[in-house]
Amino acid sequence: MTPAVATTSYESPGMWVLAWRRLRDDTVAMISLLVIILFVLLMIASRLGLVASHWNAEVAPSYAPPAWHVDVAHHAASNTVGIADPQLGPPVDISDIDPLAPRYAELEARAAKMREHKIPPATFLPFGADKWGHDILAKTIKGAEISVSVGILAALLAVFVGTLFGALAGYSGGAVDDAFEWFYNIFTSIPYILLILAVAAIFSRGFLTIVLILGLTNWTTVYRLVRAEYLKHSEREYVRAAEALGASHAARMFRHILPNISHVILVQYSRYVVDAIKAEVILSFLGLGVPVDMVSWGTILAETQEEVVIGKWSQIIAAGGSMAILVTAISMLTDSLRDALDPKLND
Amino acid sequence: MTRNLICKCCCVLLILFALSIQAAPLKVLRTSIIAAESGFDPQRISDLYSTDICWQIFDTVLGYDYLARPAKLIPNIVRELPVAEDGGRVYTFRVIPGIYFADDPAFKGKKRELVAKDLEYSIRRLRDPALNSPYSWLFENKIVGLDDLVEASKRKGKMDYDTPVKGLQLPDRYTLRITLKSPDYNFLYAFAMPQSAPVAREVIEAYADDTMAHPVGTGPFKLAEWVRKSKIVLVRNPNFRGAVLDTRYADMNNPWDREVVKSIGGKKLPLLDRVEIYPIEEEQPRYLAFLNKEFDVMDTLNQIYAAQVMQHGVVAPNIAKQGIRVFQEVEPEIIFDEFNMEDPVVGGYDAQHVALRRAIIMGHNRSQEAQVIFRNFALLEQSPIPPGVVGYDPTFNASSQQDYNPERAKALLDMFGYIDRDGDGYREQPDGSPLVITYLNRTSLQYTKQAELWTKSMKDIGIKLVNRQVQFTDMLRDEQAGKFMLAVSTWIADYPDAQNFLQLLYGPNTGSANRTRFKLPAYDRLYEEALKLPDSPERNRLYREMCRLVLAYAPWRFGVHRAYLHLVQPWVHGFDRNPISHDQYLYMDIDVAAQQAAIKH
Amino acid sequence: MNITSFILRRLWQMLPTLFGVMLLVFLLFNWVGGDPAYILAGKVSDPALIASIRKQLGVDQSYFVQFWIFTKQVFTFDLGRSWSTNELVSHVLMTRVGPTLTLLVPVVLIETIIAVGCAVLVAYVRGTLTDRIVMMSCTVAMSISFLVYIIVFQWLFGFKLGWFPVQGWTDSFWKNLLYYAPLPVILAILVDVAPSLRLYRSFILDEMSQDYVRTARAKGLSENRVMLKHVLRNATIPIITNVAAGLPATLVGLFLLEFFFSIPGLGREMVVAVSNSDFPVVKAITVYLAVLTMVINLLVDVMYRWLDPRVSFR
Repeated sequence: MTPAVATTSYESPGMWVLAWRRLRDDTVAMISLLVIILFVLLMIASRLGLVASHWNAEVAPSYAPPAWHVDVAHHAASNTVGIADPQLGPPVDISDIDPLAPRYAELEARAAKMREHKIPPATFLPFGADKWGHDILAKTIKGAEISVSVGILAALLAVFVGTLFGALAGYSGGAVDDAFEWFYNIFTSIPYILLILAVAAIFSRGFLTIVLILGLTNWTTVYRLVRAEYLKHSEREYVRAAEALGASHAARMFRHILPNISHVILVQYSRYVVDAIKAEVILSFLGLGVPVDMVSWGTILAETQEEVVIGKWSQIIAAGGSMAILVTAISMLTDSLRDALDPKLND
Repeated sequence: MTRNLICKCCCVLLILFALSIQAAPLKVLRTSIIAAESGFDPQRISDLYSTDICWQIFDTVLGYDYLARPAKLIPNIVRELPVAEDGGRVYTFRVIPGIYFADDPAFKGKKRELVAKDLEYSIRRLRDPALNSPYSWLFENKIVGLDDLVEASKRKGKMDYDTPVKGLQLPDRYTLRITLKSPDYNFLYAFAMPQSAPVAREVIEAYADDTMAHPVGTGPFKLAEWVRKSKIVLVRNPNFRGAVLDTRYADMNNPWDREVVKSIGGKKLPLLDRVEIYPIEEEQPRYLAFLNKEFDVMDTLNQIYAAQVMQHGVVAPNIAKQGIRVFQEVEPEIIFDEFNMEDPVVGGYDAQHVALRRAIIMGHNRSQEAQVIFRNFALLEQSPIPPGVVGYDPTFNASSQQDYNPERAKALLDMFGYIDRDGDGYREQPDGSPLVITYLNRTSLQYTKQAELWTKSMKDIGIKLVNRQVQFTDMLRDEQAGKFMLAVSTWIADYPDAQNFLQLLYGPNTGSANRTRFKLPAYDRLYEEALKLPDSPERNRLYREMCRLVLAYAPWRFGVHRAYLHLVQPWVHGFDRNPISHDQYLYMDIDVAAQQAAIKH
Repeated sequence: MNITSFILRRLWQMLPTLFGVMLLVFLLFNWVGGDPAYILAGKVSDPALIASIRKQLGVDQSYFVQFWIFTKQVFTFDLGRSWSTNELVSHVLMTRVGPTLTLLVPVVLIETIIAVGCAVLVAYVRGTLTDRIVMMSCTVAMSISFLVYIIVFQWLFGFKLGWFPVQGWTDSFWKNLLYYAPLPVILAILVDVAPSLRLYRSFILDEMSQDYVRTARAKGLSENRVMLKHVLRNATIPIITNVAAGLPATLVGLFLLEFFFSIPGLGREMVVAVSNSDFPVVKAITVYLAVLTMVINLLVDVMYRWLDPRVSFR
């Protein structure tokens, strides 16, 4: 997330440096940045398998309560409720019709030799276990990895699409601009949730699908901002000067103008990250979240809709809480960043 | 306690009776359903919740004894249960005279009596090609001459409702005599379903476009208000002939049966004036609203909450304290996973493929399915036949083929060459090509849990399972077309006979009811033999043989039979849950004073 | 250019957008929307039954024919019947808009009042501890997932404390508004107010840094007067634009609340329709919402020019 220093910026050469200085004096911004860095480090550690790699191992009884030291046997006993099985007869003998009957003896012999690999039960469960007996702490960390990745990548895609479209429209003007405006109007006229459901139906479930859904449906704000900036900048002198020096259209668009409006994009990018992290929760609620062999804050929170009533609060606190902390930090940093980049507002 | 309550109720009723000269308080029952209804045209509906509403509005020709377990067929609008004549080939229905439809403008101000012709009309209507009825199969290839009429109608583009059909004879105003192509001892069950309930032709023709919103029946209630997917209001049908509790099978050792007999026995039914039914898709508000006394009855409580309401068969203290009564039952339904028997990887009847399927089944941790997904409110399935239907054998034990046994699963895979050759942790097929099982299911929280369990269980025995969660329509399409390897499935009894379940594996039903595409000549022979027999030890022996074949060839992984809790508030009387017929509002009563006091409190 | 010709020209420009919306919705849902015939066929279906239902629904026709029918339907306002419940689509729309508006109007009004009020307040004391605390609590409030709010608060306020009903809806407008709507409305405001507040604060700060404010202050006008008379009046335009622009999306955006509080609104209807492949309902909601969006944008533009005479009707 380190902003690239704009080397070809003509208007305000020290913009990023100045902004950084202002930001450095802002305690809230620094704390937020620290929180974000911690989350990103956690994400990387989890990605590399350093932490929470066994999040889907069953290390405790179903819904084991939070504890620093779990007494497994005790909970296993208290876990049986419900109805009793009926009195069954002896197992049905199918040997007379079974295609596998000739090899029964071999099967018994081999099965007897098989040894089940048992995972040792966990003793440290600060948030308890979920219904399968997964450690909720590990699950939340792994969920953070996926959710934060979704946020970062989906926002990146949205910003990329929005910037590209906005730049082309704003810089070119004329028919190109009209075409993009038409497309933009269509997109903003269709309810966001409908777009999400439609795009979700096109792609099969998967991590990339979520990034695509959230990225492809969320580019409009950046487009509008970038287009407006390009309309303004393409008439400016420094662009004209570049043209006179023989810079191509592409060079003017991306080498000259883009660095000068990058602060607008950066602020919007961090807002998109927040939006995407939150939208992923709604997607999971609608059953369109990450696949079942992955976990995200969204899928955890979707599970909690039947857990609060039965008094199992660990997941909602762990996932909801960590999400709130990260999102707050990003939002705070965004505010400070915007103020730092646009000091006019802080008179 | 109950006696005391009844005394109180009686007092209240007496007082209410005294007051009723001024204004009788309306008995309003408020309840919820978990999914939206689609409409109330008996011949057009297929979903459970619309069918449940139709039980209240329409009279099925035959019904079920309210309290009999297992369900017992009884006559409803006919004089007696038709007996199988001519070796199960002919059935005669004699309609009770003097039954009237609810008033409707379509009758032009006249009272409209129910006659045998209406029964015949509904049968023809189910087969109307223009209607595309989801239950047309009930009378498909059954009645002499009807299929030819349907074919002729298809060519004409319009159903012929008037030309006489040889198998549907109306000797007089109140008699319908049905002749079948071949013996069928389960035929009568088709008349105990709302789908075959008689409707009036005038009404259907008057509301041709909108029959779903204009149900006119002879049942105890009629539709008063309908905000689709949000509110269904039924009110007492003044033309209803009246009924009293008529049960020959009440078990007086069962407190629920006792309560029903005591509270409503001998009274003229229905007792409720109004039933309000609210579809609520989310479990949390539905349950909390009931606890908050916003509803009087909580049908089919989700198992995740059930564990909180009842522990070790005892109602939890906080629930018992409020006087809430808890009814527990196992529904006559099966949840299972089906293999596509035509799939090159998992299908086939040779030892190698049978072994693969059996290993996959034994590798699936179904004890966890019962314990974690259904919080122990489930019985492990032992055969395709659920409890509560004729032909269910409680001693049948499939544990050695269907229970979780990872050691045997792995041994079986090793034996038949499904081993991991490239060391990636997943097994390959005997010819070395990758072994990937796709699991078709739908997007919802419930199925996500099943998918989690599958993925995890298969990983443990070294099989790669890819989860394909799709929209409901897409799942149905792929199942129908046989484009799946392994798919989730459910079947709820239409009628309480094992044949309703065993038909799902009958070879000639491939492409319709038999989605697993199981074609085993031995099985088909037994099925055909059983059809020709009435309920008897001989038929049960055939059913058992069929179940054994299913175990051996393993086209299905048996899941569970879900156990449900139904909660009723203390002021609700006469509640019972019949496994098949859901006409309970006819029998229910409410202590309005207690209800109002509780709401205000 | 006068206002009439401006409006006419803008209405004319809507046509291509509407066409695009229709095309996009049509493509998306014909391509991926699932086949409703499989639901309608019930639990024992065979290919012949499926084909017959498809024919009845008209989904066996070519895409061109279907799109042409769709176009005719949009312009004749005759959208046919829902595929899943056979209800007239126009009736679906009319009955579902009411409940949604019963939520939406209080949400938007209260939220705007709170957001503008607080924005003025914190702009007034900008940079102080109060400003920071208000802004920070707003940020924290909006960082919690909406789903968490609903699950927890329905349980807490509806059930545990019993301050509100858990769920429900009636035919009586006043009972809905005063008895059933409050909890969902509060929940919606909780998550929505913070972003608005932050936005409006920046609008107001923007205005406060304008030259005319400095001039006004220099002329000796009191800070209150400057704030109310000049700053707020000028900040009204972007605020109203923001509120209006958000309206159409909110019409279906409240679906989570509608699901959890059993409110028969548009959003819930649409999500259910998508999952049932109930194409007529999806089409109708989308197209009319798109039209609504465009009309609202037009109204905002007209108002914009009306409030600020410097902008001409170009």
